Amino acid sequence: MSEAGGTAPAPGATPAGGEFSEDIYLRLNPDVRLAVGAGKFRSGREHYERYGRAEGRPAVLPATLPRDRLLMTGNDALARDTGKAPACALDMIRVSRSGAIFLTGWVNDALDPIDCLELYVSTWCYAFDKQSLARVRRPDTEAALANSGRHNYGFWGFTFTARRLQAGVCSVVVRLKSGLELSLLLNAEPIEDHEMRKLALSHLSRAEYFGNPYFEAVASIEHAIGAQLVDFNKMLSRRAVNEPYVERFGQTLPHYRGSIIVCLYGKVEYMFLQQALFAKQHGIEDYEFIYVSNSAYIAEPLLKEARLCAQIYGLDMTLVILNANAGFGAANNLAAAYANSDRLIIMNPDVFPHGPDWAARHTALLDTLPPARTDLFGAPLYYDDGSLMHGGMYFALDTMPSFASGRKAETSILRVEHYGKGAPPEATGFTTARPVPAVTGAFISTSRAWFERLGGFTTDYVFGHYEDADLCLKSIEAGRPPWLHDIKLWHLEGKGSARRPQHEGGSAVNRWLFTKNWAEMVAQDLLGPHPSRPGLAAP
Amino acid sequence: MKVLLVSLYHPELVRGGAQVIAHELFHGLRATPGVEATLLASADQTTPALFKSGARITGFDGRPGEYIFLSRDYDHRWSKTRDVLLVEAFQEFLELMRPDVVHFHHFLTFGIDLLTLTRRVLPAAKIIFTAHEFLTICAAQGHMVRLTDGSLCGRASPLRCHQCLPGDPPEHFFMREMWMKLHLAAVDRFTVPSRFMIEPFVAWGLAREKFVHVTNAVQKRPARPDIAHAGPRNRFGFFGQLIDAKGVHVLFEAVSLLRQSGFTDFTVEINGDNIQFATPERRAGIEAFLAAEAALPPGERNVIFNGSYHPDQLPARMARIDWCVVPSVWWEIFCLVISEAWANGRPVIASAAGGPAERVSHGVDGLLFELADARALAETMRRAATEPELWQRLAAGITPPAGRAAMVEGFLRVYETAHAPARLAAE
Repeated sequence: MSEAGGTAPAPGATPAGGEFSEDIYLRLNPDVRLAVGAGKFRSGREHYERYGRAEGRPAVLPATLPRDRLLMTGNDALARDTGKAPACALDMIRVSRSGAIFLTGWVNDALDPIDCLELYVSTWCYAFDKQSLARVRRPDTEAALANSGRHNYGFWGFTFTARRLQAGVCSVVVRLKSGLELSLLLNAEPIEDHEMRKLALSHLSRAEYFGNPYFEAVASIEHAIGAQLVDFNKMLSRRAVNEPYVERFGQTLPHYRGSIIVCLYGKVEYMFLQQALFAKQHGIEDYEFIYVSNSAYIAEPLLKEARLCAQIYGLDMTLVILNANAGFGAANNLAAAYANSDRLIIMNPDVFPHGPDWAARHTALLDTLPPARTDLFGAPLYYDDGSLMHGGMYFALDTMPSFASGRKAETSILRVEHYGKGAPPEATGFTTARPVPAVTGAFISTSRAWFERLGGFTTDYVFGHYEDADLCLKSIEAGRPPWLHDIKLWHLEGKGSARRPQHEGGSAVNRWLFTKNWAEMVAQDLLGPHPSRPGLAAP
Repeated sequence: MKVLLVSLYHPELVRGGAQVIAHELFHGLRATPGVEATLLASADQTTPALFKSGARITGFDGRPGEYIFLSRDYDHRWSKTRDVLLVEAFQEFLELMRPDVVHFHHFLTFGIDLLTLTRRVLPAAKIIFTAHEFLTICAAQGHMVRLTDGSLCGRASPLRCHQCLPGDPPEHFFMREMWMKLHLAAVDRFTVPSRFMIEPFVAWGLAREKFVHVTNAVQKRPARPDIAHAGPRNRFGFFGQLIDAKGVHVLFEAVSLLRQSGFTDFTVEINGDNIQFATPERRAGIEAFLAAEAALPPGERNVIFNGSYHPDQLPARMARIDWCVVPSVWWEIFCLVISEAWANGRPVIASAAGGPAERVSHGVDGLLFELADARALAETMRRAATEPELWQRLAAGITPPAGRAAMVEGFLRVYETAHAPARLAAE
């Protein structure tokens, strides 16, 4: 059988005394273990009887393996067969409690493309189709294989099964188009659901591509991963808004002119900054605030600051603290349920009044304009340097060809642009009252009835991005375009929350989703700064 | 009239000009008929023994009218405390004392937002705010010195502040300005110890008509008679904190330049402490210079380090010198040391900026040199030490500084003429 002085039985030897050990046979023949796991054979014994004995498969081992010595257990013919399999490795398999599966790896399939990837764990198995795996660049593999060709060796997959899955030892089979297969054994590590979301989205944002990452990231998830991430995220959002902590500060009047809803992400300071600045507003006593925190870890400082704000500024406020990040849409929808008014004002934490009479001017708009102009409207927002940040929004479509797979494929992504971004304050054309394709979610004033009729914010988007444009498009679809009214606010864009890799990954998912949902309607008559749709006005 | 003085620290706990003035004013007001003064001075973890379990405001050493605000959980970024109970205690204190005037000598360790709270709790009270530096404008310790190149800053802006403190984006400074101003809106009168301060505040957007100049002053201590001094007037003294802004390093550099030029017939006495508040680089430089000096044979030393001093020791320390050097490298708001020097008949050699430039008349009662220019200081020191009769002429030109009574009178006038918004509305 083997090597220098080895004492093990010869390969293919019939087990002594006719004893056959299932465990030893499967250990010596991992491909048989996989085949048994896949249900192709009832047992290792069956395989041995039907094929193994004739193939000369190893079936016995000495009681104790000699240490520090090589022991040959198979024959050369079998070794040649396995030698045909391409180089492949899995970096990790993670299984979350609620049934999400994430894996990353690489395979040298430049000549013989991967067809599917199968996972076998003791109580479940799952096969990723080639289309369901995102392909990415792996510079480390390129270097190891000394291959300078433009081939995406890397792959990753994500799926949400909505079933409780067991983690543990996982047999992996990588099948190639030629019929070749490769078996690997890996531990599928358990992971908490939120960590799973963070892991998958961060991976998406950090992945490397040969082409433009903005387009390639979207293209890589459009077949399957995008929808799976959205489903998984929605499950987490539903769970996050379940049983929030709610506390009221100040008075509770039977009715307010408006409820200012602010969704907080990680930063406490913007609550007291807003409270301090709005407290100076004429007519602010007609408004209440509803802060909804997507960051459970700031609960304690947030409650402290809310108490301080009530004491120092005396505004009426409800604080809603979620147990996890539900995302912008779900959090705002929940907060709206606590409103004591029929006017919802969605506001970013980094938005502040521009002038002392903002609240009074907002109230005056509601009192004087017809509902068609106030059911959903935004306002001009300004940067700290005085230039315009937002004068309404319009849509553009970007298209990029990709030749990564050797044949032309196009990826199109809807883009949302702000009218007048960076314009000097005296450029009043951007700020005049008019109907616009969309307004930013940094500030949206909407009648509660209209908001509810539109179904509130769509909760499919991950974390936050595009819900504002989505809401506006729903409003246009329902017959009322959003308006822009000239009640100025400051907006320190992007300063009210900390952006991390998972947020970038969420943005890629949202770009894909928003395009999937709205590209057709936008393409009809809503494209560009001067859309042809009747009832909209360009600056 | 009931006056509540809110002071950053108590001068007997932590040395510093702002608290000295608040304390002097407190005693001056206590001695004024018809005025009932209360002092609420803060303490922090630099004096942990004062923190009593569960207490937020306590008395101070059994002294009538003096209280300690036990500051904690202070957020320097936004200049506010995060402690809800501490703010409640402050509100209760206001409601208990019900002062007619609340005079803030600082907001550090208390919180700038307590101005707004004070207005809310006591709508009819007059709120006075004395600026002891530019901390409301400048996040870089209120010095208005560009951290990029050490030059004096004449104008804050989100971008310029970001350049000094690049860890925060311009938007932070935009918000900081709005935050500070919205709380300063509760103030009826701002007072400044030097007139030059008014312009930066007005340029920043505060109303000029709200500003009043009231000089700083301390109770006069008897000066030592000047012992007949026959030799050259070549003894220089530095009094103050050994921190970057006070510029003792400029003085050391001037000493080195004088030595290099062969001029060694002079002495410099260093009196002060708080070197722990200097930046590590500056501290290392100061300590290295003093150590090298101490290692010289006594006859070759030009610089002598006397260490910290109590105000009562000042006349004795002043008696050992001829000139008081104020080499500050920031705007130096008032400089009580100048008053002390003048009270002891010592002419001053000072950087030509801020309070010293406003107070010292070059060639009349002292000498000015270009800020942060060690060569200019060295030349000025050589002239001071060698020019016959210069010291006598300048010493004779000194006008005795204002006494505490003048300061108290100035603040009383402010209290009487400041009109709280609620009263204006009623009128």
